[in-house]
Amino acid sequence: MNFHKISEIHDAFDAKKLSSTELTKDYLNRIKASKHNAYLTVLEDRALKQAKQADELIAKAGKAPRDTHPLVGIPLGIKDLLTMDGVRTTSASKMLENYIPPYTATAVDRLEKAGAISLGKLNMDEFAMGGSNENSAFGPVMHPTHDGYVPGGSSGGSATAVGADLCVAALGSDTGGSIRLPASYCGIVGLKPTYGRISRYGLIAFSSSLDQIGPMTKSVEDSALLLQVMAGHDPLDSTTSPKPTESFYAESKKEPDWKNLRIGVPKEYWVQGISPEIEKSVREGLKWFESKGAKLVDISLPHTPYCVSVYYIVAVSEASSNLARIDGVRFGVRHPDSKQVEDIADFYKKIRSNFGPEVKRRIILGTFALSSGYYDAYFRKACQVRRLMKQDFDAAFQKCDVIASPVSPSTAFKIGEKAADPLKMYLNDILTIPANLCGLPGLSVPCGSDAKNLPIGMQLVGPQFQDSRILSLANAFEKGRK
Amino acid sequence: MAEVNETLTRKVADLARLYLTDEEVTLYTTQMKTTLGYVDLLSKVDVGNVEPMYHPLEIETPMREDVVRPSPVDENGKPKVLKHAPETLYDGFKVPPIIG
Repeated sequence: MNFHKISEIHDAFDAKKLSSTELTKDYLNRIKASKHNAYLTVLEDRALKQAKQADELIAKAGKAPRDTHPLVGIPLGIKDLLTMDGVRTTSASKMLENYIPPYTATAVDRLEKAGAISLGKLNMDEFAMGGSNENSAFGPVMHPTHDGYVPGGSSGGSATAVGADLCVAALGSDTGGSIRLPASYCGIVGLKPTYGRISRYGLIAFSSSLDQIGPMTKSVEDSALLLQVMAGHDPLDSTTSPKPTESFYAESKKEPDWKNLRIGVPKEYWVQGISPEIEKSVREGLKWFESKGAKLVDISLPHTPYCVSVYYIVAVSEASSNLARIDGVRFGVRHPDSKQVEDIADFYKKIRSNFGPEVKRRIILGTFALSSGYYDAYFRKACQVRRLMKQDFDAAFQKCDVIASPVSPSTAFKIGEKAADPLKMYLNDILTIPANLCGLPGLSVPCGSDAKNLPIGMQLVGPQFQDSRILSLANAFEKGRK
Repeated sequence: MAEVNETLTRKVADLARLYLTDEEVTLYTTQMKTTLGYVDLLSKVDVGNVEPMYHPLEIETPMREDVVRPSPVDENGKPKVLKHAPETLYDGFKVPPIIG
């Protein structure tokens, strides 16, 4: 059973060729047989119960009730930093290996209320810190098609689960590219919506001004559908936007207004270190847009060379603050020695020794950047350059409607290849980071493959709250390039 | 650029409530030097009086009525938040004695 779109599954439900229970059992069997290490927790009984309820809804309505339950009977995978009431949620950390939260993330809650089934919780880099999924406390995730290769990170379990058909679609989160990068490595679609479009309530925070939840899917229209279900203001997250949401699904299917469409190509995104195969593939994609009537416009984002520096100061500073709550007092794991302590600092330090090496590295750097005497030189300065980057985008969007580029300078690499050099790994995010710093919507859509048949992704970035614009362009690209 | 050495790493680790082994101190000191060396690119940017941007959206803090809502409870009527806590005592989280 390999469906490309949720609408095809609903058609099969309508025609009584398939039940949600059959589909869910098939996925549970596929997960059991898989060697990818994509799932950390499988929710077999819970999922089958949800599937039974979905089948009852379908039987009652005579067909899949898309209007009231747009995701009825659809089995999904959930990145393991989204809480679910009564379900173990680890953030792929030893610190939370037994954490059972008492509440459900709004994004997951909205999907389940729309009829979706949660198959289980997906592996990731610990606390979403990493670009290869090698930083999980529960072992690396394998690339869906290339043995020994990384799926990208931090939503590596989500990307592999979708790429290897271990779920119909998955949720990921994106702080500096953690949805788009693994999506491009695994040949699937990944959307980081505009900041504030999806509630972060129940998302275990890494960097609160950058984190966004988003869908990872086999098709662009499925991403639009999941976004539509999850989007909108949430009183439980004061950073969600009060702006009304759109019919992202219907909008994504509209043909772009090709004649009036200007696609910006930033000159700074094509320099140093981009693989020639990626450049060729993305430039061919741009030519396809041109052949449809769109105009390619050269633009400049002059502060691009500073984005990795800005990102690493902002992200690690916010992380060091957010992770202060992981102290083993109210939840999580306590160190066996924490009963015999000298003082409160000793108590915390013993417990916090369960953090993995990348997390410790970032907490230290972030604590440094926020500490007395260094705050102005690092954190404040980074936030000033962040505003200059936002001004670059504001100016660029006067000249173009969408910005197109590669997602990553390289395709998926072998496990262990970059692990010893954190800076090299950080530089891999150079093309995805700007959208997070500036709160812009960005997506990765498959655009080709290299000589090893590893997928290449094209990134489309739009102005804030223009998620529909990039979705409809990506949808046209996905259909037209087949 | 700040002078990064093992003393600084140990001080920061203490602030962050982390124990580090001697090997970790050496490793993180070297890596912090490399990363901050790279980040030093920022010193070349003339930011003038640009207002720092701490958040991607221009948002305001929403106000709401201060209404008391009950906390979720489990099947025994106990606060749900205590159900999976590492250690509890009565209706609270238990920690070791920390005041001598």
